[in-house]
Amino acid sequence: MAAYLVRRMAYGLITLLGVLFLLFVLFFAVTDPDDIARKAVGERARPEVYAQWKTNHGYDKPLFINTSATGVGRFTETLLAEHYRRMLTFDFGRSDADDSPISRRLRDGAGPSLGLTVPLFVMGLLVSVVVALFVAFFRQTYIDRLVLVLCMLTMSVTSLLYIIAGQYFVGQLLRWFPISGFDPNPAVVARFLALPVLVGVVAGFGADTRLYRTIFLEEIGRDYVRTARAKGCGDARVMVRHVLRNALIPILTNVVVQIPFLFTGALLLESFFGIPGLGALTVEAIQGNDFSTLRTMVYLGALLFIAGQILTDISYALADPRVRLG
Amino acid sequence: MRWLLARMGVLAALAGCLAAVGCTNNPYPAADRDKKVLYSSFQEAPKTLDPAVAYTTAEHVITGNVYDTLLEYHYLARPYRLIPGLATSVPMAQDLPDGRQAYRFQLRPGVLFHADPCFPPDVAGRRTREVTTADIAFALARIADPALNSPVIGSFAQIQGFADFSKRLVELRRSDRAFAALPAHEQYAKAGGIAGVLAHGRYELEIVLSQANAQILYWFAMPFTTPVAWEAVAAYDGKEGRDSFADHAVGTGPFRLALYEKQYRFILERNELWYGTMAANNDAPGAVFPTEIGPKDVAEGRIDPAYAGRRLPFVDRVTFHREREGIPQFDKLLQGYYDDGGIIKESFDAVIEGGRLSPAMQARGMRLDVTVEPSIFYVGFNMEDPVVGTPAGERGRKLRQAMSIAIDSRQYLELFLNGRGLPAQTLLPPEIFGYDSRYHNPFRQYDVEQARHILADAGYKNGIDRSTGDRLKLSFDTSATTAAANLQFEYLADAWRQIGLDIEINATTYNQFQDKVRRGAYQIFSWGWLADFPDPENFFFLLACENARSKSGGPNTASFCNAEFDSLYNQMKYLPNTPHRADLIRRLLAILERERPWIELYHLEEFVLSHAWLVNSRPMGISYPAYKYKDVRPRLRAQLQAEWNAPVRWPLYLVLFTILALTVPAVRTYYRERL
Repeated sequence: MAAYLVRRMAYGLITLLGVLFLLFVLFFAVTDPDDIARKAVGERARPEVYAQWKTNHGYDKPLFINTSATGVGRFTETLLAEHYRRMLTFDFGRSDADDSPISRRLRDGAGPSLGLTVPLFVMGLLVSVVVALFVAFFRQTYIDRLVLVLCMLTMSVTSLLYIIAGQYFVGQLLRWFPISGFDPNPAVVARFLALPVLVGVVAGFGADTRLYRTIFLEEIGRDYVRTARAKGCGDARVMVRHVLRNALIPILTNVVVQIPFLFTGALLLESFFGIPGLGALTVEAIQGNDFSTLRTMVYLGALLFIAGQILTDISYALADPRVRLG
Repeated sequence: MRWLLARMGVLAALAGCLAAVGCTNNPYPAADRDKKVLYSSFQEAPKTLDPAVAYTTAEHVITGNVYDTLLEYHYLARPYRLIPGLATSVPMAQDLPDGRQAYRFQLRPGVLFHADPCFPPDVAGRRTREVTTADIAFALARIADPALNSPVIGSFAQIQGFADFSKRLVELRRSDRAFAALPAHEQYAKAGGIAGVLAHGRYELEIVLSQANAQILYWFAMPFTTPVAWEAVAAYDGKEGRDSFADHAVGTGPFRLALYEKQYRFILERNELWYGTMAANNDAPGAVFPTEIGPKDVAEGRIDPAYAGRRLPFVDRVTFHREREGIPQFDKLLQGYYDDGGIIKESFDAVIEGGRLSPAMQARGMRLDVTVEPSIFYVGFNMEDPVVGTPAGERGRKLRQAMSIAIDSRQYLELFLNGRGLPAQTLLPPEIFGYDSRYHNPFRQYDVEQARHILADAGYKNGIDRSTGDRLKLSFDTSATTAAANLQFEYLADAWRQIGLDIEINATTYNQFQDKVRRGAYQIFSWGWLADFPDPENFFFLLACENARSKSGGPNTASFCNAEFDSLYNQMKYLPNTPHRADLIRRLLAILERERPWIELYHLEEFVLSHAWLVNSRPMGISYPAYKYKDVRPRLRAQLQAEWNAPVRWPLYLVLFTILALTVPAVRTYYRERL
């Protein structure tokens, strides 16, 4: 297991270094440091202001080779080397848009993001698993067919529509929750998160429920279920103790890989509901040409994806004794 | 399974009941219900609160209320009028030898900065300090400092020694590393300060200008020139985890910045140390509600005359929440959770009927304020272009005139802005000296036949160039690539196509467009301008040759250069508002009428909706939101909010009932068949 983990992490590191190189090429192929400086300080600034801004933000070096340096410095005193150093040491520098420290913005945004994504993840999982278990139990009845139709309907509609419809029907017409906004005050925070969580659960309901229903149906048809019934196990015991436990492995595949992404927030939900999380930060970085923040978010996304893959493998081994990593 | 189903049913019922009892769409804590809090919203997060740099409306919402200025605008008087703020009076110009001019400001004694940890405790244990003229001199030096990249550095160039001070700073920083490492205030002192900014003692400041300029006073009514505490700049340097001064405002204004989470909310709280609370300033014009109240403001319920002469401010707190999207922002305004706000395009027809508030909005007690902004939106020509510009001589002039007549601003406004604008006759909007409501520009009266006729005179009959026999093809360059913007450009292009011209729209990114402008590779463009201060100079300078984009990189994007215009402009620009100035403006407008470097489209109108509980709210247009004048009636607000937002619960019960109605028969059937 330990050897597997070390090998897996080494692969992950190589992938990460590759991603960082791609990231660098993509960002600096799209725009050059002079353009970034012009966008940040304005068109009418003096040349010395551009130069100062580029120095402050670490854009004052050549891209790949520094011909004015000597020895190793030709390669280390470059934007590429600086990019690797900053990303690998988590020293993300300052935002190109408003000069604020990116690490502080990440810290400020992580709380609201997790406040939204964790309940959304838990509720979504709970609802999908319970409903899937329920319809699997009543398979081939009108309840099963009704839920399947509902799943298809929810899968066919874009999540943007759920957001707008949720804000209109639940926020404006029914007046159950605030239409948008956020306040970390514990007395009111739940009412701000209720609607986005509800919308998120509904938007993800169809795909997850269908997947879990299929998994449960596959398990229900296995011999051990028949054996359990023959031995006199009750329905609830069969479904919860046997079917649910054995269906956990494919469910884990779907679920564990999502966990790291809880940190990066939900782009659309945060943006539309005015939740100041990392998803909204990413959208804003795209809209505001904030390249340094965007690079950081893409890098963190890649890092979390790799972490998610490793976590999934470990969770396999923990959930299923038959799986041996090595 | 029966056990599982029973528990699920109980849980669902419990969740339903909890939701039914606990749900509310009120975004604010119940404890704030009866408090004097004003609720507002913003879409764009401010980039900086540094008064030397902050320039956008989003930024001035904060800096305009947190930082006091020597002068300010009268809240109600129109045309706009300056009144004393931190200064005891509006200074008169004093003529000096060599054409120079001086203004002497008398600062109110005893004005204190907001309490802040950057100050050492005084004898009373308060962490604040008295404002002196040195703090205003420091603010001006910061504007002159090229490292700060103040957007208004050019506007103060007429202060004697201003440019020299900038150069000295750059030179000293370049040549002396020890100097460059000093805190800003020490650098400025060592560099000798600005020669034309003279502090005579603690309370008298003299500003010496290299030539007469009556408009300089307007700049002392903007947050750029607010007193700045060197202690705050030194303490909040953004290094080693410390706040940056751009995010940490330490001013003297009626409100202090109590919370600044710029990505989603900020809170202003009443400043107990404000100069207006001191007995010595009982009569300070900026510290009491104006007594000159127009009968129209009273009749329309905008201003409550009972407030005349009362001490400011009236609210204890102003809370701003960020709304990135317009629809939820407007919905929350209608629900009563914002006290005032604009009207979104999608709901305009439901709110406004025939230019007035719809009966439904009137029934809610809402009020509509329409203000023409001191702005001009226009189509410009590259006057250096051989076809549409000055090199084309009379032909080019007639071509521009024909294109000007072919545009129907009224229809444009109806189609794209719900009529929220005033068709422009000149570049000057209402409330600006020189504006004449009776004047009708002959080349801004929509008439397609007349346009065709002038075009034929120019040698382009039906758009065909008589010298080549080809249709005249022109390029319309834009920096907007959105579908909505494209429609607007298509409308303008279609108007010109109607008279026979072949128009190609070249939509590029902002950077590419800027690059085209730098290279002069453009013919027609569309642009807008919102004035910094209410003076005609702040519009005419956009067409002065000294500001031509092609020559100096200035804001005259049309690169219009006309010797007669420049001569008249230079005579007019720094004059006070006299009949002579009015005459010069008429002559300037006559040149623009004839030459047509621009097609003036419209002056933007701001529509603001306010609730019945918001008192004394009057859009300022040119100035910055003055929350110190506004008041709220929290009880009325709470009552109407409760009335408008009672949750509708029956759909929840219906959903629960439907689930039960569908599930129970299935469960019963299942067990009946099994047992």
